[in-house]
Amino acid sequence: MNDRRLRQALEEVRGPDEDRAQQRTWLVVRSAYAARDALPRRPLPVRAAIAVTALAALVAAAFSSPGMAVLDSVRKAIGIARAQPALFSLPAPGRLLVASPAGGAWVVDVDGAKRRLGDYGEASWSPFGRFVAAARGNEVAALEPDGTVRWKLARPRVRFPRWAGSPTDTRIAYLTGSRLHVVAGDGTRDVDAGGLPAAAPVAPAWRAARSARELLLAYADTRGRVYAYAPERGSVLFRTKPGPIPTKLEWSRDGRFLLVLAPRVLRVYDLAGRIATRDDPTDGSRDVDATFLPDTGRVAVVRVHGSQTDVFLLGSGRLLFRTTGELRQVVASPNGRWLLLSWPTADQWVFVRIAGRRRITAVSNIAEQLGGAFPAVAGWCCATGR
Amino acid sequence: MVASVRQERLWVRGAQAGSAPAVEALYRAHWPRAYRAAYLVVHDAAGAEDIAQEAFLAALRALDRFDRRRPFGPWLHRIVVNRAIDWSRARSLRAEVEIAESAGSDPTPPAELPTLVRALGGLPPEQRAVIVLRHLLEYTPGEIAKLLDLPRGTVNSRLRRGLDQLASLLGEER
Repeated sequence: MNDRRLRQALEEVRGPDEDRAQQRTWLVVRSAYAARDALPRRPLPVRAAIAVTALAALVAAAFSSPGMAVLDSVRKAIGIARAQPALFSLPAPGRLLVASPAGGAWVVDVDGAKRRLGDYGEASWSPFGRFVAAARGNEVAALEPDGTVRWKLARPRVRFPRWAGSPTDTRIAYLTGSRLHVVAGDGTRDVDAGGLPAAAPVAPAWRAARSARELLLAYADTRGRVYAYAPERGSVLFRTKPGPIPTKLEWSRDGRFLLVLAPRVLRVYDLAGRIATRDDPTDGSRDVDATFLPDTGRVAVVRVHGSQTDVFLLGSGRLLFRTTGELRQVVASPNGRWLLLSWPTADQWVFVRIAGRRRITAVSNIAEQLGGAFPAVAGWCCATGR
Repeated sequence: MVASVRQERLWVRGAQAGSAPAVEALYRAHWPRAYRAAYLVVHDAAGAEDIAQEAFLAALRALDRFDRRRPFGPWLHRIVVNRAIDWSRARSLRAEVEIAESAGSDPTPPAELPTLVRALGGLPPEQRAVIVLRHLLEYTPGEIAKLLDLPRGTVNSRLRRGLDQLASLLGEER
């Protein structure tokens, strides 16, 4: 079959009942557009307007046959069906660190073994996964992955300990109240990051470096400005304009880009402080999490729109996962081949393989297995670090 | 129905300004090809209807950000084809890992489908997608590479393998 005949044959294809399908879909599209068009004219609160849009689309969808399936899935969307009842193993090498104020901090090995580190509400891996920095109340501590305490430091209202550095010289950044502190990995030389404005309640992020002297720390102040700060030199490389207070800061693994995420702001900055990529959500959508994929430098985004959550790649828009329900977190495996998506309302973790052939697997009863509260995933670390 | 570039820009501008007739004109011009492209990739009428519907709703949500200087078709087709590929993969994956989020419809093509469509169903969705983009929607391999965010060589190899396999399947059925 030559190209011309192939094209002709494809153009002649008609789906079954195509005209009615077109009309059904038009009813849905028209209703959604009418609801969207009503927004500027009516001074409705944003949430109410979103509800009107969603309701109009759902009502219209009810009259289409695929729409019936959509409504059914909305009603039943409480997680992935036939998920594993327990975490028997991780789908990729490495160890997970999770924490919640009620359940404490836990390390999960690749074979599913779980070890409680203690009553710590927040934690993070050291750069090579050999230690854990943890925080609770008025204390920051360095632990071994078996829970042995190496040192601890009393400071008021400690939050967000983050560890970085070379194998021989490391630093831990953390917030005490609204002050940004940096302490050496052995617990000595704890200092206030001198002279910087008060920090917003968001975890600071280290840029990877070969030596502690080259380390760069991103943090946000209470006006939403993000600083790239070199603690050893006491200098600021760049500072962004004021804006919404971010919920997450993250450097790419190669250190070339900084991700700044707020519910309605998604930006990637380069090392000169210029915006390299932006995709601020609009139309009622909000971003709940995003992360760089190791090695590729691409960003996976978790965006919630109404009752639906999409996980997609920034830039290409490639959809990696979609569900009705609200996901909270996306964490990439150390080899970059899997994503862990946390789904608190379904009490599930969903693992999505994004490299090669796509696969999905899910685990239920997360809270019960990890101290009785659904935890935040603090890191998936270091396949070769043990 | 093929609209001129100028006409399409007017529709997009009208749609951004709140004109329902402009949205309907865009819809009538683009839905048939979007639906058929989805149908040829997923081989499931209800699935194709859902995908075309979702693509238009997504396009409406992002309408304010749309650059009017760019054609609307490729933007929509990118959404449609990527979702169709994801839909096909997800369907096969659910069977593989025994995760069934919804019942879904019967993936087996009915016997009364044209020979070409049945043969196309024997290809992987990625190959179906590039054949549909090349031979139904008439994009060049370079344009397909951009639409699917793939290297051009990958597009060419998928096209070549897909067409070879298609010829083989059609030969067996004759």
